[in-house]
Amino acid sequence: MFRIDATLTGQWSDTQIRVIERGAAAKFARALGLTSGIHYDPDAARLAGYRDVVAPPTFAVTLLPWQIPGLELPEAGVLHGEQEFEWGEPLCAGDAVSVRGRLDDIKTRSGQQGRMSIVTIVSEAHHESGALAFRARAMLVVTEEGEHGDR
Amino acid sequence: MEIGDVFGPYHFQVSREQLVRYAGASDDYNPIHYDDAAAKGFGLPGVIVHGMLNMGLIARYMLEEAFDGQARLEHYAVRFRQMVQPGCPLTVTGRVRDIADDVVYVDVQLAADGEKPAVTGKMRLRAGVRKGN
Repeated sequence: MFRIDATLTGQWSDTQIRVIERGAAAKFARALGLTSGIHYDPDAARLAGYRDVVAPPTFAVTLLPWQIPGLELPEAGVLHGEQEFEWGEPLCAGDAVSVRGRLDDIKTRSGQQGRMSIVTIVSEAHHESGALAFRARAMLVVTEEGEHGDR
Repeated sequence: MEIGDVFGPYHFQVSREQLVRYAGASDDYNPIHYDDAAAKGFGLPGVIVHGMLNMGLIARYMLEEAFDGQARLEHYAVRFRQMVQPGCPLTVTGRVRDIADDVVYVDVQLAADGEKPAVTGKMRLRAGVRKGN
């Protein structure tokens, strides 16, 4: 079960340090069908001006900190409503980025399909240099079906 | 390149194998993406494609096809409007909304054939291969 409490708005997650691994970046690129060598081959990446193989832009989703203390989302029944990314310095293999997220907004609405909660989480990731890696905003819709789900 | 230029349409389908690959690559094991019974339990017609896979596929077609690897994404926002099921014929298109020096603004969408767009979004790309890092 889960709990959605509007008083949690503004709550930050812990800051996590996440290291970008070559294999993880390549696996993500392969899952999307990307063919550019910059995601697979360190030499090709360096030739294109990157430090090492570069993660595809939306790889950032794997780094998002969904664990906001006090916010319990159901394991299923959460629909993704919107997603936004702004990128700074690219994420390359070997980079260690610090990532944290904040519960930005919770709205609860009642409609024909029952109660739904709209949860917005904003996140930011920075390189060790302090340079921005990315900012993200995720809008999630938790439906009553999700609320009653127990798996 | 001019305002109003259209990229695509790029036609493809997402297979169930791709859903499993993406689940593993993104560490997203929500059963609605691989277990029909679980998906139906949540009122869905069956397993659905990860919204983030759709978002990533649109980016792939714009970066590798429309811009031939010669641009970098700076900003990208999407709205997930409809469910997408594996095996469904899909089309990605982009349209240049604005150009300012080497920055290109593109409106993008992914739609199942004959249906309203399932994903709509806006991108800001910087054209030109990155030098140094």
